[in-house]
Amino acid sequence: MLTGEMVFQTILSNLEISLGISRVSPVINDAIGALIFGIVVLIGVTIFDYLFGWMERKLIAKMQLRHGPTVVGKYGLLQNLADFVKLFAKENIIPANANRWLFLISLPLMAAIFTFIVEILPYGPAAWGVNLTLGMLLVFVLLSFMPLLVFMISWASANKFASISAQRSVMMLISYEIPLFLVVASVAVLSHSLSLTQIVAAQSGWWYIVLMPLGFVIFLIAMLAELERPPFDLREADSELIAGWLTDVGAPLYAISLFVDYTRMFVGAALISILFLGGWNGPALPPEMWLIIKIVAVSVVVVVIRATVPRMRLDRTLRLGWLWLIPLSIVNLTWGLLLVGGLL
Amino acid sequence: MMAETKINIGPVHPSTHGVLRLVVTLDGDTVTHVEPHIGFLHRGVEKLVETRMYMQSPSYMEKLDYVAPLCHDELYVSTVEALLGVTVKERAQWVRVVQMELQRIASHLFFLGTVLNDIGQLFTVFMWVFKDRDLVLRLLEEGTGGRMFYVNMRVGGVNRDLPPGFAEHACKVLDYLEHRVKEYEDYLNSSSIFMERMKGIGVLDSRKAINMGVTGHMLRASGVEYDARKAHPYYIYEKLRFRQMVENGGDCYARYKVRMREIVESIRLVREALHSMPDGDALGMPIRLIGPLPKEKEVVVRRELPRGEGMMYLIPDGQRPYRLAIRAPCFINAYTLEHLPVGHRLQDLFAIMASIDLVLADVDR
Repeated sequence: MLTGEMVFQTILSNLEISLGISRVSPVINDAIGALIFGIVVLIGVTIFDYLFGWMERKLIAKMQLRHGPTVVGKYGLLQNLADFVKLFAKENIIPANANRWLFLISLPLMAAIFTFIVEILPYGPAAWGVNLTLGMLLVFVLLSFMPLLVFMISWASANKFASISAQRSVMMLISYEIPLFLVVASVAVLSHSLSLTQIVAAQSGWWYIVLMPLGFVIFLIAMLAELERPPFDLREADSELIAGWLTDVGAPLYAISLFVDYTRMFVGAALISILFLGGWNGPALPPEMWLIIKIVAVSVVVVVIRATVPRMRLDRTLRLGWLWLIPLSIVNLTWGLLLVGGLL
Repeated sequence: MMAETKINIGPVHPSTHGVLRLVVTLDGDTVTHVEPHIGFLHRGVEKLVETRMYMQSPSYMEKLDYVAPLCHDELYVSTVEALLGVTVKERAQWVRVVQMELQRIASHLFFLGTVLNDIGQLFTVFMWVFKDRDLVLRLLEEGTGGRMFYVNMRVGGVNRDLPPGFAEHACKVLDYLEHRVKEYEDYLNSSSIFMERMKGIGVLDSRKAINMGVTGHMLRASGVEYDARKAHPYYIYEKLRFRQMVENGGDCYARYKVRMREIVESIRLVREALHSMPDGDALGMPIRLIGPLPKEKEVVVRRELPRGEGMMYLIPDGQRPYRLAIRAPCFINAYTLEHLPVGHRLQDLFAIMASIDLVLADVDR
């Protein structure tokens, strides 16, 4: 008789072959467990998204000598909920020349991809769903789908501002994915692994921010570009391209884009914490708590950068990528190899 | 090689500061042609004042440039004074200069905020500047009773003299502003992104600047020493020591620099004016007490407004103007939008547009 347990085991063994799962998390021992874990992670990330949105508004407001949202809920905590409800209550406008289906599925697809990334990230020594030996590779491959989807929705919406935004997006893809991957490679070299849990375990001594400060700086800059955060928000560029690739997007889809934006922020902050800030390593507090603290700290830094710097010029951005980040990330990779080889 | 793309920027766009429409032809990311379309905010003010008595018009004039209304008010009233042959009372001249320079500070601070906003700085400096500008507006409110629109000028004087204690309060605010402006400059000079966005962008050489007839900070940023306050002194400007700010770059950065230095200079000017201001009567009078209005006369008055040189040309017809022609500085400066961005990137177009600092109400009248 085919029980749920058997189905789950079959799926797992298939996954093991195709994705290289080294083992299944101790918190998951059946299909129900997996489902519960997935849902808990998703709820946690949604809460993060919500609070991040609130924090961003409040922090930027403080930096700008304003108060930010104060009316809806205590400290304006319910403002984002109200906005979300409002966005979903509005009509979803599809431009006449748009490629209807492509236009409609692009943003939900982005949301799906980021949800997937969130599910395969580890959150503690025992708090992970699957431990993929090639986990880091999978995460970054999924991340690099983003510019592609941006291109897709821009093309689908048949808007000129969106198409300029998409062109910029592709240019950024070339000049920032390469340093990003080179730094990731150096992390892999240093930790002898592509598995995220292994990388964190390898940082139980020195964090990689100490061992590879150059790599951290490159990764942070490339990640800001990846996350579409200032000074690299050339894709969205609100004072130039109105809203870039989101120009023609109607309210409900825009709400999804906000979810994507914040989840992407979460993924970015989590990756920075896991790859360079020692993940959940830390004294006294529970390890999951440490990871959350680090993620929040990184997001605060990103928001402060957002409120501080003007937007880079496109040509300067590309020059920074090609002339500085790529050579420096090769230097960083060499540095990693020397460290591993015990030559220093 | 990409085909040329035409994009339509405005009339509703975050960076056009009003209803300006630009039809931009792009070759890849390079601007090859810009076609400004103006007139969305045309109100027919010049025709409208022909139907109004002289002293009914200042409030229309203030709406010409809603960022620096007091200066336009003063320009119009001076034109009427020139028509009537009235000399402005001694103290009123000082009061006017103080208020105009305060307005200039407020207007230039606004410029700083919008430039930063347009090159992608998320409203932070914009908000700081608004808070500082508010202090200046409060000073103007003390002096005139209005915050946005003042209508304080009357023929031969002002509607309200400066209140007692104004000088002390103003000096406190000016000290603070001086400190703030230095802070802004330190912050921006240390920002390499800001420098990259502004330096070498939209260069206007001095010959071209003169030929195009641009005035104000655009002309001075191109290395031409021309400030109507120096070239055609009016009121007490001859008595006050101040420099006209000239930069040689001709680019967006030079324009920004001229404005920042003008803020500091205006702060000094106001302080000096407040210290050496004579006592006496400053109040102007209702126009009907002045006597018969001339029939055959033409007058031109020019003033250095915050956005450039403004002129008004007036032909009277009894109680009403027969014709009032306004030389709006923004209208002339807007011409440069056709030329400056060509050959630059699309992003630079917005830096250039911000550095020209158009007020569309002034362009369209």
